[in-house]
Amino acid sequence: MNILVACKIVPDDQDVKVAGDGSLDFSRAHKVVSTYDLNAIEAAAQIAAANDGSTVKAISVGPKKADDSKTKKNILARGVDELFLAADDALDGLDAFATAAELAKLAAKAGDWDVIVTGDGSADLYAKQTGVQLAAKLGVPFVSGVVSAEAADGKLVAKRLLESEEETVEVPLPAVVSVAPEFAEPRIAGMKDILAAGKKPMNVEGAEGAPAKAVEEVSVKAPAEVDRKKEMFDDVDAFAAAVKAAL
Amino acid sequence: MSKAFVIAETENGARELCAGARKLADEVVLVSVGAPVSGAADKSFHIDVPAGNIADDAYVTVNKIYDAEGGDVVLGEQTLRALSLVGRLAAKLGAAAITGVSAVEGGVATSMYFGGTGVREAKAAGDVAVYTFGPGVFDASEATGTDAVEEAAFEAPENAVAKTGSEALPPSDVNLAGADAIVACGRGFGAEEDLQLARDLAAKLGAELACSRPLAEGVDWFPREAYVGVSGAVVSPKVYVAVGISGQMQHMVGCNGADVIVAVNKDKNAPVFKACDYGFVGDLKTVLPALTAAL
Ligand SMILES: Cc1cc2nc3c(=O)[nH]c(=O)nc-3n(C[C@H](O)[C@H](O)[C@H](O)COP(=O)(O)OP(=O)(O)OC[C@H]3O[C@@H](n4cnc5c(N)ncnc54)[C@H](O)[C@@H]3O)c2cc1C
Repeated sequence: MNILVACKIVPDDQDVKVAGDGSLDFSRAHKVVSTYDLNAIEAAAQIAAANDGSTVKAISVGPKKADDSKTKKNILARGVDELFLAADDALDGLDAFATAAELAKLAAKAGDWDVIVTGDGSADLYAKQTGVQLAAKLGVPFVSGVVSAEAADGKLVAKRLLESEEETVEVPLPAVVSVAPEFAEPRIAGMKDILAAGKKPMNVEGAEGAPAKAVEEVSVKAPAEVDRKKEMFDDVDAFAAAVKAAL
Repeated sequence: MSKAFVIAETENGARELCAGARKLADEVVLVSVGAPVSGAADKSFHIDVPAGNIADDAYVTVNKIYDAEGGDVVLGEQTLRALSLVGRLAAKLGAAAITGVSAVEGGVATSMYFGGTGVREAKAAGDVAVYTFGPGVFDASEATGTDAVEEAAFEAPENAVAKTGSEALPPSDVNLAGADAIVACGRGFGAEEDLQLARDLAAKLGAELACSRPLAEGVDWFPREAYVGVSGAVVSPKVYVAVGISGQMQHMVGCNGADVIVAVNKDKNAPVFKACDYGFVGDLKTVLPALTAAL
């Protein structure tokens, strides 16, 4: 099976600072792979491991800063064979429609594929729309919430965890599937994996032009602070009394 | 006259979104892929999805209804299936859905950024705005409309996904909505048996037990309904005791409605201490039994 896995490189929200005017400052934030895309990478690696002769290639679209050596190695250290990254400030903050169009271009460059795996939703917008938009762009089937998948002659037999039921489906390939975090816990990449990752092919390119925006961002601000007492205790009895009084 | 096009899966979702749609447009068209819904929209369509198909593949029919009816604004329910339908329609329109919307004012939609780390305002750049809403943004009881429901035939796409089985998830006995007190457990619990310490505390407080997201899906120590946060339950008890929870925004936006937040964490620099009323630095294995005994 030839598997592509789409992952987003995002700023680490732990590093975000609130600027004086209440806007959020991401400029000093480290780049990381979006949390649940790590589960998607693991899912892709596990499907590949279960099917001899499989390949896993990662595709990603982001700003220039996404072209970060540590982050690229982090992706390739997780059972991924090759990376296709479009990193250009013209590709920063794309909506799902534009992202899907750019990912489709990368998929075409990555060669033949049977399935494209995406994560549950990205850490920034958590819109859960990129997978289905990509499927629509490519004209292939799409299922989301996948918690397990097995390849069976031209199909993927998958289980989907929905809000109130678990559905078993047969997805004709090629297809796009978005996996729930439950599919697989991301592995901890070891030193050896990270060293080996540095030698794997990384195809990084710029944008062919700025894609049209389907959504315009008006503002991003820090949320209103909730006022809390922030009282610290070191005596359990006093702590217990405070808790009791609050009930 | 402006028109809203609603895509829903559940009946409650359909009613909530139709009530919201009334505020955004003069006329409301509803397409439901779950149960037929009457009395909620000016025109109500129902697509009966065959047993061997998935509701996500009803997009061929949904998009045809949209072609016939039109709509300046699309409102989608935030279930996985409805999100698939919304995405397929948005793709066809050259649009992208703004999701997790909490309010729409003059075409500007408000939603969370990085799970509550920020608040984002955004608007559609094209002619049609596409929004999705979680439960509770609009009041289902305000929905009004025709009793007639029109059946629209399911049309399978090429390469349709086959549904071969389905199993209802067990009903959960988690009841966080009405709880006065909640004890929430995080990854600070190293072993499942340590949860007994939280159960003991909860019993003393008359509290319900909840958790952070990793305890409901990385390990399955808790059912999904028990995790609190941006993608889980949003709770507002009198007292919320966060134990072994670091206090990431994605979790805290779920409990910010609590009157009092109490935190126990062994790391004095854990962000939860900046978002709580009463904090105690220490190992939960010693702090919880002592607290339970002292109550
Ligand atoms: C798109 C998206 C949506 C998300 N939605 C949610 C959501 O809805 N709800 C949610 O909860 N999370 C959500 N998350 C995950 C969230 O970002 C955090 O990763 C998660 O909340 C962390 O859980 P935690 O605090 O239990 O674990 P950790 O962050 O690992 O924290 C564990 C804490 O336990 C403390 N600890 C360790 N040992 C002990 C001990 N012996 N005694 C006392 N303290 C101890 C540590 O100091 C640490 O502070 C989401 C993430 C993303 C990307």
